[in-house]
Amino acid sequence: MKYLYIDTCSSYLYTGLVENDKLLSERKIKFDHDLSTMALSTIIDMMEEKNIAPNDVDKIILVNGPGSFTGCRIGVTIAKTYAWSLKVPISVISSLEAMALTSDEYDYHVPILDARRDYVFAGIYDSQNNCILKDQYIKKNVLETAINNLSDNFVYITNDSIELNGDVKKYDPDILAIVLKFKERENINPHTIDANYLKLTEAEENLNDKEC
Amino acid sequence: MKDVFILGIESSCDETSCSIVKNGNEEIATVISSQIDIHKKYGGVVPEIASREHVKNITIVIEECLNEANMKMEDIDAIAVTYGPGLIGSLLIGLEAAKTLAHIYQKPLIPVHHIAGHIYANNLVKDMKFPLLALVISGGHTELVYMPEHLKFEKLGGTLDDAVGECYDKVARVIGIPYPGGPEIDRMAHLGNNSYNLPLPLNDDSYNFSFSGLKSAVINLNHNEEQKGHIVNKMDLATSFQHVVVEIISKKVLKAIKDKDIKYFIAAGGVAANRGIREALSNICENAKIEYTFPAIKYCTDNAAMIAAAGYYYYINGKISSLVINAKSSDTLK
Repeated sequence: MKYLYIDTCSSYLYTGLVENDKLLSERKIKFDHDLSTMALSTIIDMMEEKNIAPNDVDKIILVNGPGSFTGCRIGVTIAKTYAWSLKVPISVISSLEAMALTSDEYDYHVPILDARRDYVFAGIYDSQNNCILKDQYIKKNVLETAINNLSDNFVYITNDSIELNGDVKKYDPDILAIVLKFKERENINPHTIDANYLKLTEAEENLNDKEC
Repeated sequence: MKDVFILGIESSCDETSCSIVKNGNEEIATVISSQIDIHKKYGGVVPEIASREHVKNITIVIEECLNEANMKMEDIDAIAVTYGPGLIGSLLIGLEAAKTLAHIYQKPLIPVHHIAGHIYANNLVKDMKFPLLALVISGGHTELVYMPEHLKFEKLGGTLDDAVGECYDKVARVIGIPYPGGPEIDRMAHLGNNSYNLPLPLNDDSYNFSFSGLKSAVINLNHNEEQKGHIVNKMDLATSFQHVVVEIISKKVLKAIKDKDIKYFIAAGGVAANRGIREALSNICENAKIEYTFPAIKYCTDNAAMIAAAGYYYYINGKISSLVINAKSSDTLK
């Protein structure tokens, strides 16, 4: 079984190829505003280097958010177009559950992404990657209270520059471990795949406020 | 010669569309998923919502188009896609889907300028002839473009501020017509009297336009009437407004036709569906004894058929792009 992993939700492009229990190749590249020019070409380059044709992939594992809205959409569009056109099975995982797999030295793992204006996207996971507090768009101080009430043995996992009280680990995905962990996740119809924004648009929020 | 089938993808604003066109002039199938009802409650297009809708729709629209055409990706010769100008987040969805398909099926990728697409909507009516004058009028554009031959675009002039369609929608809002109000103003303009005095905007010898002053004049007129306790006659205001728009557009088009010795005229863009403007432009062309076309009403607004039609000419001229192309929110037609 060959798996293609795609994550474009943060300021990094993470992509990898896994065959059975072996990592064939991976790319981890930081980008500024050139994600749309390099995402697909990087994936193609990685596959061609290993002589893997688009048709050879048995399953796509897509990270569909939360994170940068545009970033998420780029990976989602590439992956769903790929999966739909070649009928390749595809399943999605959240960027936060992928991030939570990074560390095993602490009781609780808190993957966290900057969502601006004192808000973050975050979740709380235990050392077995069970979700304790579901992924959400949350005010940073509310999250901090929640984690402090839970335990003092926790670590934040992030690549963003967020001011945090506690141990912080830089996110560097173990793509093989992530793929192996989630390879059995249920396949979904590519047409229905969407980015996992965890947040309404501002226009929708304002409209809801008005209607309340 | 072998027939050439181009698959076009368009997602520059709030329509997700896919189309297959044969030889640049024969539409095989077109699917358009419009978001107009979603954006209506916000009074205009919300870019982030538009991008989100494109992601949901993109593969469904492409699949429906292939099904309608009874074709497979393998039957397609090249993939044409709008790369700009437009809303960047929206453009990226069509572009990424097009790039992915181009790679998977090893098809040439043809980037198409959105305005070139609007112009080539006319090629689906009748093969365009040159030298040609194109009037591009929509919610985002107001341009006069001279084309000596296929794919050669020379901008003669354009709006210095608001696009004409934008002005229509704002005037509609002033008199209480919901977004998008342009088509309704056009309907009302045929029922009222030209009784309000509005200024002819940028009435000079250039090919440029200006609509923000006209918009302000309508707002002020409405305000002044309200202050006096009068009720504005909406039909008459719509008629007076459209009269001024038609007059200034006609004047600049006629000037370009004469100056450039034009033999073929086309209109394009959403506002090219406007009945009052069509009538006036038809009269000008008939009086000047030149040929002209307007796109089918359904292809005045954004659609992928026009992108596939333009894409054909780029394709046969070898204008193929690598897969590292980026979307551009603004880009000059050249």
